[in-house]
Amino acid sequence: MDEQLDFQLRGGRARALSVTALLRMVRETLEANLSDCWVVGEISNARLAPSNHFYFTLKDDRAAVNVVMFHRAFQHVRFKPEDGMEVIVRGRISVFEARGALQLYAEEIEPRGIGALQIALEQLKKRLAGEGLFDDARKRPLPFLPRTIGVVTARRGAGLRDILTVLYGRFPNLHVIVRPAKVQGEGAAGDIADAIADLNRDGRAELLIVGRGGGSLEDLWAFNEEQVARAIFRSTIPVISAVGHEIDYTIADFVADVRAPTPTAAAQMAVPSKAELQERIAAADAALAAGVRREVAGARETLDDLAARLRSPDGRVRELRLRAGQLALALAHAMGARGRSEALEAAHLRDRLLSSGAASLAARRHRLAELAARLDSLSPLKVLERGYAVVINSRDGRAVLDAARVEVGDELNVRVMKGRLRARTIAREV
Amino acid sequence: MAAKVRKFEDELKDLESIVNQIDAGELSLEDSIGAFERGVALVKSLNQKLDEVERKVEMLTRSAAGVLETAPFDPAADDKTRAEKDDGDPPF
Repeated sequence: MDEQLDFQLRGGRARALSVTALLRMVRETLEANLSDCWVVGEISNARLAPSNHFYFTLKDDRAAVNVVMFHRAFQHVRFKPEDGMEVIVRGRISVFEARGALQLYAEEIEPRGIGALQIALEQLKKRLAGEGLFDDARKRPLPFLPRTIGVVTARRGAGLRDILTVLYGRFPNLHVIVRPAKVQGEGAAGDIADAIADLNRDGRAELLIVGRGGGSLEDLWAFNEEQVARAIFRSTIPVISAVGHEIDYTIADFVADVRAPTPTAAAQMAVPSKAELQERIAAADAALAAGVRREVAGARETLDDLAARLRSPDGRVRELRLRAGQLALALAHAMGARGRSEALEAAHLRDRLLSSGAASLAARRHRLAELAARLDSLSPLKVLERGYAVVINSRDGRAVLDAARVEVGDELNVRVMKGRLRARTIAREV
Repeated sequence: MAAKVRKFEDELKDLESIVNQIDAGELSLEDSIGAFERGVALVKSLNQKLDEVERKVEMLTRSAAGVLETAPFDPAADDKTRAEKDDGDPPF
């Protein structure tokens, strides 16, 4: 199709555009100037196409414009736009050339009411994100066991009560530094920012909780302000944001190292449960003692086995001695004096065998006794603390390990964690 | 912040890996006695770390001159005294 046509009109030359060219010029002009704009109006004729694109008309009392929101953008809308609703739409203006229709291609849609504030918030969010304040890379891990926790919230707030209750419920000995701050109304953002800076200057806290209990979006507004965002960003102490609003994220939430939905949740994230940690340590402690007891028992068995086997060389030596004696006799008969030296050698051999076997057994016994002594010396009281007792037989003064060695009537001395008991054996089961 | 001698979570991990080693029976008797000694020392140190902090709540304030001050803070008592005078600070 020709783009344009030159022709004669009332004696002069004129130029006509094709419809296509006209619409393209209109589209290009609009797109150059209105590629990103916010429009306020009322929704009418809203419909969701089978393609999941959302179509509606945005109007006020004098004008109307068709709006298309493609599925790609519409799926991120957190509320359901309906006819009659006042909304703010962000998008680009263009022309649907096939029908010559002006259209707004929407990227975002927000319910009206806090309109301007919301726009400002979006702009601030974009700017801070651009500067890297929300980057995941700068999020710091929270300390596992912070001993000192700084809290920024209203002095008389439910938030502070919740935080202290949960913190002390989980960890009864904690140091908490409260820096009270005004959390809503004029000057709140500045006060919160100062509080964060003060706790950083003080420097004792290892973790900060910054927040307040629930409220309306307007009540929480201080946590959307740039001053607070920058103070959190500058904090060298990791920050948990705790703004009591389950659904919406404030800017403080985006900047904080960790976001908690409520002050209570923040306190739960801040410290581990002391009782749980103590249980873990106690379980490991018990497993240590049980494990080593098992090892020692195993070693003792091996040693007993070894000792049993060491006895057999005695027999072998006797045998050798006998044989050597016989040989010596035979030799003495056969060769006279030379036989006597053979007999001597056999006797030597016997002695060496006997002494080396005994020495190795003694050395192992000694080593085991040493190890057992080290084990026992480590913490006998710890064992008693767990409710065990040591029983000494008064007759021989030895610890009772085997009931078979105790006679009925024997006096026993029982050592428990605190003090001793004297007891008499009434019966015994072996 | 001054560097701590050992972090609690590292010691707890060490302790649990010592228990696992002994349980798995990978160690010689002497090594497991050594591991046991280290384990007992860790148990002691861990329990100490859990108990070393004193429970206290303080309030940090800044004077007009910009000086930071800390004072003991009793939130329950604070609620009572402050509830009597309305200073316009909303209770959130």
